[in-house]
Amino acid sequence: MQWQIKENETLKEKVYFMPIEGGPELYVLPKKEYNKKYAIFSTRFGSIDNTFRVAGNGGEKITLPDGVAHFLEHKLFDDEKGNVFDRFAEYGASPNAFTSFTLTTYLFSCTDFFDENFKLLLEFVQSPYFTEESVSKEQGIIQQEINMYQDNPDWRVFFNLLAALFKDHPVRNDIAGTSESISMITKDILYKCYHTFYHPGNMAIFVIGNVEPSNIYEQVTESLSNRTFPPFENMGRVYPREKAAVNEKKVVQELAVSQPIFNMGFKDTYSFLEGRELLARELATELLLEMIFGRSEQLFTHLYEEGLIDERFDAGYTAETSYGYTLMGGETNDPEKLHQELLSGIRNFKKEGLRKESFERHKRKMRGEFLRSFNSLEFIANNYLAYRFRKIEFFDILDVLEKITLDDLQKRLFEHLDEDLSAVSIINPFKQ
Amino acid sequence: MITLDSKTLLDNIRIHLFPTTKFKTVLVSVFINQVLERELAAQTALLPAVLERGTREYPSFRDLKIRLEELFGAELGADVVKKGERHILSFSLEVANNKFAPGENLLKQGLTLLKNLISDPFLENGVFKRDYVRQEKEQLAKEIRGLVNDKVSYAIERCVQEMCPNERYGVFKYGSVDDLDIISEESLYSYYQSLLRENPIDVFVVGEIDADETFSLLEDTFNFYREKTTSKLPPVEVYNTPVEVRYREEALPINQGKLTLGYRTNTSYQDDDYFSLLLYNGILGAFPHSKLFQNVREKASLAYYAFSRLEKHKGVQLIGSGIEIENYQQALEIIQEQVELIKQGNISSEEMENTKRGLINQYNVLGDSPYSLVNFFLDGVIGGREEGVDYFINKIEGIKKDDVVEASNKVFLDTIYFLHSRDGEGGEQS
Repeated sequence: MQWQIKENETLKEKVYFMPIEGGPELYVLPKKEYNKKYAIFSTRFGSIDNTFRVAGNGGEKITLPDGVAHFLEHKLFDDEKGNVFDRFAEYGASPNAFTSFTLTTYLFSCTDFFDENFKLLLEFVQSPYFTEESVSKEQGIIQQEINMYQDNPDWRVFFNLLAALFKDHPVRNDIAGTSESISMITKDILYKCYHTFYHPGNMAIFVIGNVEPSNIYEQVTESLSNRTFPPFENMGRVYPREKAAVNEKKVVQELAVSQPIFNMGFKDTYSFLEGRELLARELATELLLEMIFGRSEQLFTHLYEEGLIDERFDAGYTAETSYGYTLMGGETNDPEKLHQELLSGIRNFKKEGLRKESFERHKRKMRGEFLRSFNSLEFIANNYLAYRFRKIEFFDILDVLEKITLDDLQKRLFEHLDEDLSAVSIINPFKQ
Repeated sequence: MITLDSKTLLDNIRIHLFPTTKFKTVLVSVFINQVLERELAAQTALLPAVLERGTREYPSFRDLKIRLEELFGAELGADVVKKGERHILSFSLEVANNKFAPGENLLKQGLTLLKNLISDPFLENGVFKRDYVRQEKEQLAKEIRGLVNDKVSYAIERCVQEMCPNERYGVFKYGSVDDLDIISEESLYSYYQSLLRENPIDVFVVGEIDADETFSLLEDTFNFYREKTTSKLPPVEVYNTPVEVRYREEALPINQGKLTLGYRTNTSYQDDDYFSLLLYNGILGAFPHSKLFQNVREKASLAYYAFSRLEKHKGVQLIGSGIEIENYQQALEIIQEQVELIKQGNISSEEMENTKRGLINQYNVLGDSPYSLVNFFLDGVIGGREEGVDYFINKIEGIKKDDVVEASNKVFLDTIYFLHSRDGEGGEQS
């Protein structure tokens, strides 16, 4: 086995990749000057993977209650002896995990006892232990997590918008599920999903900090040698055929807030892009949004001085293989007026075109921001795998960014920022 | 660990340099130290927003942002920070290392902007521009009212306000809406001038820098007039033994109850037994292995989160947990039981050791982020501790179980604040 080394001259970073037979993919990025060592173990199993076919059962189609990936993430921390937090604590590490739409990640950071902590990470992620009792206990905890988010207006305005944009795609559902859906989760469902999605062939590891690649590789292979796996067969993920049109144009909810919160979204066409093509689309759309809604643009100053937005107003784009959307908004005293102003801002750009000067400036800024974020080990590791799971080489960002042209943006402006494919979500204060 | 390279007085401005090749950026942070005071809080909080609106050279927010984009997306901003009973006006600049932008001196160009932001604001008739002040007063009023939008922070802040109604610490970091009315562009400008002249100022620079060159750049950046001696800020009130526990509750149309307990620790950041208190807080609720997480969440399944946190400068400890409203009594009992257990010495050797390792890990990684490094040394300046990270780690290692028990017995419950729902109904989707 040979390390494949990917080096980036501009970033001055070098990542070691080891293609382990049967998985998981292993990446190591040595950063000698840092005290912290950070390791993540991720699987391609997120909240949207709720329907799939497994080869073993004659192609039987399985549909899960919402929230299984997240529930499993919570329960994997258990083993026969209790939970693994105590054992990470013995080695001074800080463990955690998170579940997104498309992946689940287990992680720790530490300064001392790296080998012990890393072994523990490999061990607990590969050792499921679920009982009826522990599942039922977790339902109480996750119920409180759901309740917390029910009271969080930023979270609600976001998921209400996704449900307005998407009619069938599971990205419209809360990652943690609902009270009802989590009550249907059993230990059998967890085991079934574990054996389907936690096969090493579906997983990847990224380690960063003052570490030796060879030492990491030895630990990973040793942990795999104790186990046997059937050959990895990709489970057939089934996503419903989502229509181009939005589900609802507007959704409104009342919560205990001081003033309305407004989000507007644009639904992307169903593309199945991946790799550099998907990355190019992501970067072009981000640049486009910066050129229209960025803090250095006239529209932002206008809306701010009118008191329609505050400085946290933001616009961003999310690009996955099976869905994509632009989202913008923030707190406002007049959602209707803000909505009209944003649409008319977009129309102006369609009429007058995008300016070269602004394009170059935003590109320069994006380059600098990307570089700056490389101060954070967590940022590098988490993003590297998240991009990798979309078949994108993270270090390619600077290169792909350079190649984006004003014409690409002009095209995205008309194709993506289409009023017909937009929806709004508003949280209003309760009427007194 | 990165250590301080030099520390020098420059017109009563203390400069702290941390040269290191670890980061891809250089961070410059400037802190103007002020007392947190009911009468001053809204003014201090308004300043960063007004200053960010424009400088003489770059008269609008937009002009400034365009310039920053030209400098490869450099970050420049102002903010207020509340630390104990200090209200700190902060400015920060972060630029990419020069080696990433050949032929440019990003630090020098960035410092020119920082200088403009601090000492050369956009003026109209010799004071802040009227429109800027008016608009920022409206924005700040919204920000103050918007506290309620995040229920987790709201419950913590409300507990502090109920606990310290007559102490400086009870003042919200953005002040109150009522205090905004009387602020004019003249009064705000003259207040700012007095801060620049008289208040203590500390500057931190972290990154790949040459100490001599940076020092001379900073001399040029901070060349405005300063008084010979800086104003002396009043000491923080830490020691307080409550006569009885205050019970406060509030109702909002929400789904989840938020239980918050405020304690007086009677230990300040400067005190010798601060490290014992740090251990106490760690064993109680700062980690997943802590008593609160293990008992409120893992054993009783009552909550998703249950934590304790220290406000080191004020010596206040806050416990927070989000629970089912009807479980108030049970959650309260479990929380108080954990506190009592420690006071009675019920601490296992694993809890001692694991908490020490967890805390030491936190101190070990401080130097891996320019922002946490600066924050650690700012805490030292505010709290009167000049020691470095190694001293902290040494102290933590030496703490015995008895020390923790002793520190825990100086901790008294002051206020229980419960945020719940009037009629048990949450937000319904329409």
